[in-house]
Amino acid sequence: MAQSLTHGETALPADWRDLFALTKPRVMSLVVFTALCGLLAAPGNVPPVLAFSSILAIALGAGASGALNQWYEAGLDAKMKRTAGRPLPAGRLDRQTALQFGVGLAAFSLFLMLFASNWQATLLLAASILFYVFIYTMWLKPRTPQNIVIGGAAGAFPPLIGWVAATGSIAPLPVMLFLLIFLWTPPHFWALALFMRSDYAAAGIPMMPVVAGEKSTRRQILFYAVIMAIGAIAPWPLGYTGALYGWTAVVLSAIFVALSVQVGTRTTAEGDLMQPEKRLFAYSIAYLFILFGAVVADHWWPL
Amino acid sequence: MTEETPNEPFDEAEYRRRQRSRANMMAWMLGALAILFFFITIAKMEIFS
Repeated sequence: MAQSLTHGETALPADWRDLFALTKPRVMSLVVFTALCGLLAAPGNVPPVLAFSSILAIALGAGASGALNQWYEAGLDAKMKRTAGRPLPAGRLDRQTALQFGVGLAAFSLFLMLFASNWQATLLLAASILFYVFIYTMWLKPRTPQNIVIGGAAGAFPPLIGWVAATGSIAPLPVMLFLLIFLWTPPHFWALALFMRSDYAAAGIPMMPVVAGEKSTRRQILFYAVIMAIGAIAPWPLGYTGALYGWTAVVLSAIFVALSVQVGTRTTAEGDLMQPEKRLFAYSIAYLFILFGAVVADHWWPL
Repeated sequence: MTEETPNEPFDEAEYRRRQRSRANMMAWMLGALAILFFFITIAKMEIFS
């Protein structure tokens, strides 16, 4: 039985809400959506119950990664305002419970994927969990300001896994969707890191604004936004998607680049409210949701 | 991490509430999984038949 707070000699069982919070439900929503889009955009028909089970396995795998990330970073989370209220730093849960929960959930997600889908998708799911926990959380994040760039690959797996769960093989379109999330991650996270800079500095995490400074981070946001826009539009001229996706990508990416120009070219003074950075961060989330929705719409109702 | 609070009186009602809440959650999840695995098996049988 998992235990948490101790009252003298007796321990209270961990509250299930705290275990649920360990899975980072908000991050999971984007993972589930992009995985579902990858699965729905794939050719062929998957029985609904198998599609549901595959998406559930991906969601549980993402939840396990989140739990293991919070288990490893409990000390760092306690130093940042944004994360201090999480179950581990707030003392509502003990680390052993979080570790057991994370490992158990990861093992179950792989079993469910293998049972409902195929070994190729299971292998990719295992790779994404291991990459997020060992390569991103333990190795890159505390060592290099490029943590988000390389670590972005972990978050880029879901549409690829969704596609492979449906077809059993990899194709150019899901690889392009993988690249899209990979290139989207740096401007998305660095926009957040710009207005949360003091938090990351306090925790000693070498985020780009902390190590290279604001000016360099702003330039790199703009650089990645332009590359990402090219990557987002590319499936259309290459013939992997139709005009519905193409025009959606053109319009949304133009807005993304425009917002990035605003962030990339400005300088801030003390006490700046960082509105353009907050706007870019919020827009980047909507951008990914709408663009992946367009991939599915384009597949089902081509123009 | 886990703070020892030896002077705090043990709240048995809270202990029972959490235990019951987790037991209920576990029962619902196991039931849902049994149903899910049943339907996965049926779907796989249809694919391979």
